[in-house]
Amino acid sequence: MSEAVLERPSAGFLPKWRWLSSEHPLPWLLPASALMIVFGIYPLLYALWLSLHKRNPVTRLNVFDPDYNWMKAFGDQRVWDAIATTFLYTGIALVIQLVLGLLIALLLDSDRKGYGVLRALMTLPLVVPPAVTGMMFLLMLDGSFGVLSRSLYAIGLLSPQYPILANSSTALAGVLLADIWQWTPFMVLIMLAGLRSLPKEPFEAAAIDGASSIQAFFKLTLPMMSKVIGIAVLIRGIDLFRVFDYVKVMTDSGPGTATETLTSYSGRIYFNGDFPYASTLSLITLILVIVASTLFMKIFRVKL
Amino acid sequence: MSFKEHDKKTFIIDTARDFAARRISKRDFLRKTGMAGIGFSAFASGLLGSTRPFRGNLGGNAAYAQTPEEMTKWLKDVGGQFKGSKVRYTSEATPPTVVLNQIKGEFTEATGIEVEIEIVPLEQVLAKATQDVQGQLGTYDVYYLDQSWVATFSQDTVDPVQYTKDKPDLAMPGFDFDDFSKPLVEGLALYDGKWVGIPFDIPIFITMYRKDILEKHGIKPPTNFDEFTAGVKAITEAEKANGIFGTGLQAKSGHYSLECDWTAAVWGHGGSIFGKDKKFAGNDEQAIKGLQWYQEMLKNAPPQSTASTWDGQFQMMHAGQVALVNSWDEFFPGLDADDSKVKGLWEPLRPISSMTGVRAVADAGFGEIPNVGHQGGSILGLSKYSKNVDAAWIFMQWACSKEIMTRCTLLGGFAPMRLSSFEDPRVKAKAVVGPGTTRHLETVKWTIDNVMASEPDMPLWAGFSNNEIPVELGKLLTNQDYGGDAKKCMDNVASLINKAVEDAGLL
Repeated sequence: MSEAVLERPSAGFLPKWRWLSSEHPLPWLLPASALMIVFGIYPLLYALWLSLHKRNPVTRLNVFDPDYNWMKAFGDQRVWDAIATTFLYTGIALVIQLVLGLLIALLLDSDRKGYGVLRALMTLPLVVPPAVTGMMFLLMLDGSFGVLSRSLYAIGLLSPQYPILANSSTALAGVLLADIWQWTPFMVLIMLAGLRSLPKEPFEAAAIDGASSIQAFFKLTLPMMSKVIGIAVLIRGIDLFRVFDYVKVMTDSGPGTATETLTSYSGRIYFNGDFPYASTLSLITLILVIVASTLFMKIFRVKL
Repeated sequence: MSFKEHDKKTFIIDTARDFAARRISKRDFLRKTGMAGIGFSAFASGLLGSTRPFRGNLGGNAAYAQTPEEMTKWLKDVGGQFKGSKVRYTSEATPPTVVLNQIKGEFTEATGIEVEIEIVPLEQVLAKATQDVQGQLGTYDVYYLDQSWVATFSQDTVDPVQYTKDKPDLAMPGFDFDDFSKPLVEGLALYDGKWVGIPFDIPIFITMYRKDILEKHGIKPPTNFDEFTAGVKAITEAEKANGIFGTGLQAKSGHYSLECDWTAAVWGHGGSIFGKDKKFAGNDEQAIKGLQWYQEMLKNAPPQSTASTWDGQFQMMHAGQVALVNSWDEFFPGLDADDSKVKGLWEPLRPISSMTGVRAVADAGFGEIPNVGHQGGSILGLSKYSKNVDAAWIFMQWACSKEIMTRCTLLGGFAPMRLSSFEDPRVKAKAVVGPGTTRHLETVKWTIDNVMASEPDMPLWAGFSNNEIPVELGKLLTNQDYGGDAKKCMDNVASLINKAVEDAGLL
């Protein structure tokens, strides 16, 4: 096979455009680096700088007091409650979305007629903005006229006396419904891609050896899908950890603080004007995401 | 009927109800909700309770759109000097803001000054204004300031009375600051003797009752808390099986609406939010009685009350679910609207009086005025950091002028700020059952003049009233915490608030 030789296109360029033919990485890294600095690093450093200041609500001056907000956060019971709610929300949503996603993917993993359309339909919930999904579920779970609430009343799972979103013990489940409806298809699509990339030979060999489909699933499919599952869990987990839209739209962290997550709490603080404390809470969210993701990757040996 | 004409906030709910009751087909349901999708963002803010309970049906009645010649001349001569400039104003969807947004073209046509009105949920208005003043950015020329934020922003606005004196050449002829209702000026606009802005809207608590239900059960319209409580309990007992409750509440935890309800209950039982020692008094004997009364009312309200803001409370009234309500007067025009199931059935009443008498102003702290007519008004403030302060001042005078404020009332049926608007024959002529009715305004005027209450004027109040108080109340009312013990809950709130007040050096 002959080797293709790429010629440097410098000959046709004016001197000031000469850098377009440069082999030095700098010009090519510059645009992405600039974007990263403006939209990633600068806001992060600014948040860090803000978190080291105490805001005086009367004078509105931010005074340098490096440990004030951090100590306040550690002593704030609402922060601990919000962390617990965030982990609970993330854990429940992740497990349900993963199990449902895998089951639906197994059902849709077929080349029979019509399955392609079904797979395409799975993408529909993903294109709805989360705030709109929140609105839809807010309506459907309304205590008076919500179609979901009424269905739950009809089958006796819920009493009209305790509307799902107005009750502190059920409100989180109501918010989770919206998240699960919207994001299970994401899991389905990733799992489908994984299933479709599996080699056929091990399954054929297992079939010849007389393995049942359940045995094939647990002994072959699951182990071979472990990397895909790991990455899907990681991506969804990070996304779930910073849930805001559904909580804001459906319960505004209530009743009480029953659905208050770290991001919704920092949002509330932000809207009340205490930007340094809101920044501190955002940084705590970031730190927790980094720690949890790193631990997950180490424990489950996920490599990106 | 175009979607714009129909009240956006009830459209989907009504459609869903019609579909559930099989009054419309599935096809119509999908078509209507699809149509509603166009106005989803506006609807969303309403359902989230981030807007005021504005129920007036706006209509472009040409008879009202006659700008007086003198004003037109002033707009052209004086405002015309600033042709090409742009005035930015951010507000929640209060009734006058919605009207102003519709008629701002008249101002631009006469002056050449463009007006950009950014309508966002209440908490976003606060965040945007806070950011603007923190950095002294001048992004907004005019601020919408809720009464609970007036103290916080008092240092960031231009005193309009002083500015009139300083720049007489820009003053609108006949603007007349004395025409503003005095209690509104004192309760809303003044802080430490300075006019922080101009009174702009005044939702206020009155009592409202369903005359048909009360008559059916032989209950007299209540005049005090005891009669109100007895009536509420009797109606719940008799009508609960029919889906009708004695009262409806705006008890959404964590929301300012719950704080408003709580404050009204505390004041009505002789308590106050702060004592004269400037310490939180919401945990004293009278205040706890008020909160316990509210807990009792919750047992007689639709269960969705704990998930409802003012918008949800209005829905309960509009849908015929409740019979006696102590809440915002701005609900009234919507109750008489053509699409209302209870058109003409609600009657306004003066706010129920306290059994123990209200606490004296001198015994409350931070400028709080305890009484039974809780006001939730707002002012328009002229930004000190504005880069177009003169153009913005022209706009503010136009927006708060006699003619425009009266037109806002005529288009929406809500309470005016100006004494002359109350007396306007066009306003009086609309005091009949119908969309945008003004038949409640006599009660509103009496309430403003005699029993108007105001929340504390202090820089931390915006935070307390949107966070600590309604969040902890929410925990209590939904049994998330405190085991139903009102005292335990308010003791915790007291410790949080007293510490913050002390930290801020206000004690």
